[in-house]
Amino acid sequence: MQRITIDPITRLEGHGKIEIFLNEEGDVANTYFQIPELRGFERFCVGRPVEEMPLLTNRICGVCPEAHHIAAAKAVDAVYHVDIPSTAKKLRELLYMAFYCTDHTTHFYALGGPDFIMGTDAPVAERNILGVIHKVGLEIGGKVIQMRKYGHNVVEIIGGRKVHPCTSIPGGLTKGITEEQRVEIEKMGRWAIEFAQFSLKVFNDIVLANPQYVDLILGDIYTHQTYYMGLVDANNKVNFYDGKVRVVDPTGKEYVKYEPKDYASHIAEHVEPWTYLKFPYLKNVGWKGLVDGIDSGIYMATPLSRLNASDGMATPLAQAEYEKFYATLKGKPVHQRLAIHWARLVELLYAAEHWVELATDPEITSPNFHTIPTATPTEGVGIVEAPRGTLTHHYWTDERGVVTKVNLIVGTTNNYAPITMSIKKAASSLIKKGNVNEGLLNMVEMAFRAYDPCFGCATHSLPGQMPLQVTIHNAEGEPIQVIKQSVD
Amino acid sequence: MKTLIIGLGNPILGDDGVGWVVAEKVQAELINPQSAIENPQSVEVDCASLGGLSLMERLTGSERVILVDAIFTGKQPVGTVSRFLLDELPDLSAGHSASAHDTSLRNALHVGRDMQVPLPDDENVTIVTIEAEAVYDFSQELSPAVAAAVPLALQQVLDLLAC
Repeated sequence: MQRITIDPITRLEGHGKIEIFLNEEGDVANTYFQIPELRGFERFCVGRPVEEMPLLTNRICGVCPEAHHIAAAKAVDAVYHVDIPSTAKKLRELLYMAFYCTDHTTHFYALGGPDFIMGTDAPVAERNILGVIHKVGLEIGGKVIQMRKYGHNVVEIIGGRKVHPCTSIPGGLTKGITEEQRVEIEKMGRWAIEFAQFSLKVFNDIVLANPQYVDLILGDIYTHQTYYMGLVDANNKVNFYDGKVRVVDPTGKEYVKYEPKDYASHIAEHVEPWTYLKFPYLKNVGWKGLVDGIDSGIYMATPLSRLNASDGMATPLAQAEYEKFYATLKGKPVHQRLAIHWARLVELLYAAEHWVELATDPEITSPNFHTIPTATPTEGVGIVEAPRGTLTHHYWTDERGVVTKVNLIVGTTNNYAPITMSIKKAASSLIKKGNVNEGLLNMVEMAFRAYDPCFGCATHSLPGQMPLQVTIHNAEGEPIQVIKQSVD
Repeated sequence: MKTLIIGLGNPILGDDGVGWVVAEKVQAELINPQSAIENPQSVEVDCASLGGLSLMERLTGSERVILVDAIFTGKQPVGTVSRFLLDELPDLSAGHSASAHDTSLRNALHVGRDMQVPLPDDENVTIVTIEAEAVYDFSQELSPAVAAAVPLALQQVLDLLAC
């Protein structure tokens, strides 16, 4: 086959761009998924006081500002070598649990859920949150709005603003909460637990009770055997806010567990000439290409990965769901990518339960929410689990605390290789002997929507309306077919 | 009519922040005693980096909404100022009325109305757009053609308020 160079400069603005190359038989030889990435954040931050980072990184993309804010806050504390008071940690974690509930809810009902709830054969016009509401009932929309409202309220109470928190400073927070606020937060948390249980029931009644969907979930088309990564606490239970990074191999065995500050000894980034985004991989396993298996350094970081990488959930109701999850899918680890949607709901329940645990913790209203750092700032790493995957912020400063260098590995970046592989697998099963199945775009969308990818402000993923262009090339590298949706 | 004007965008992402700049100019007009705006007390101005459901939630209780935002069609000169009703937007992926992680503003408004959330009708949601150039690079500056378009976009908003 000819060698083709794809010039990454010719990016399509705001679209996912996929190039598929066929071999002589008309079957898929290779696929390439190109991302027009946001650029220059590191450059932009150099020269800023590091305590601005929790406010600046809020704005990397408008979608998970809370995750960036918390990771940045932890990195800033590490730069100043300060251990913040227990109350400050708990308040930040409480804010974070409320955010998780909002975010996971929105993804399931507005984005990923419609694939199942409406069915993959449902007309594109119905496979969205409106379709879900009409099928499941009007009350579901009301609950989704309510969950979001409660989540935003908690973020505002603790973080100072509804979506873009601003209360984290080096050494802790600028304010605590009153008993009155605590009562309000607890009440909203208890509602969130019920809502999470309701959502798991919706999934059970609509998805798991339908053999067609179960086949889809278990099917090979969306299955890959890779390593799995997630943060765990001292008992190896899933934790979104703090802990060590644990990676298990495709058989489920622990491969490595490391402190956030040591991430660079374990993760490297591979560069390909045809895309802006780099591919993180496990350094000590090595880069073997975009392939599955225990010898390939590719790993995934998603709700499913976190469940796979842990020994369980730290709260009782979520733990029961975790056990049901693995029993139903017949073993651990689970490799089927569509199961990410279910894992997301198990996490939703844990986040709600932990929300109430923190809201009823005796320290949560303490006035001891800040300590003044005294050490000279140098360098620090902050890692949290963003809903989309492990999020790493690493800052270097001079002795005044002015930023000299920044390195970020954001949630979805971890998954760039797995996403690319999922797209290739979907394409390979739907393009045979040069015949392209109509459902190609549909299946490709479903493949990467499961990862809840965050390609910055460049992609707008409404099911069926994600701007996508797929170009199919013959064995000589000449484009022979272009399939588009929502692209002029 | 109670009117809410929101500058949308990301203020540290170059041209993507033009909505905020225009909104700030509208705010200055509102508090200017010599301003031509009638009934300034019925006008509220805000800046937001929101889309989809979050943006819909912000519109709750308004009778009329004017959004100001960068757009990237690639088909008109950088700095071109246009105005659309929500349904007329040329492409759902343009601008920030959609969000990567939930849904388009149009769908979000339908959801909200189904839920009896008080929201403006689609024909009372107008979007003033400025064709942008550099929306992928982090910067607090606007590119020259986009910066030059700010007074024109401001005038569009003031004309809408005068209706």
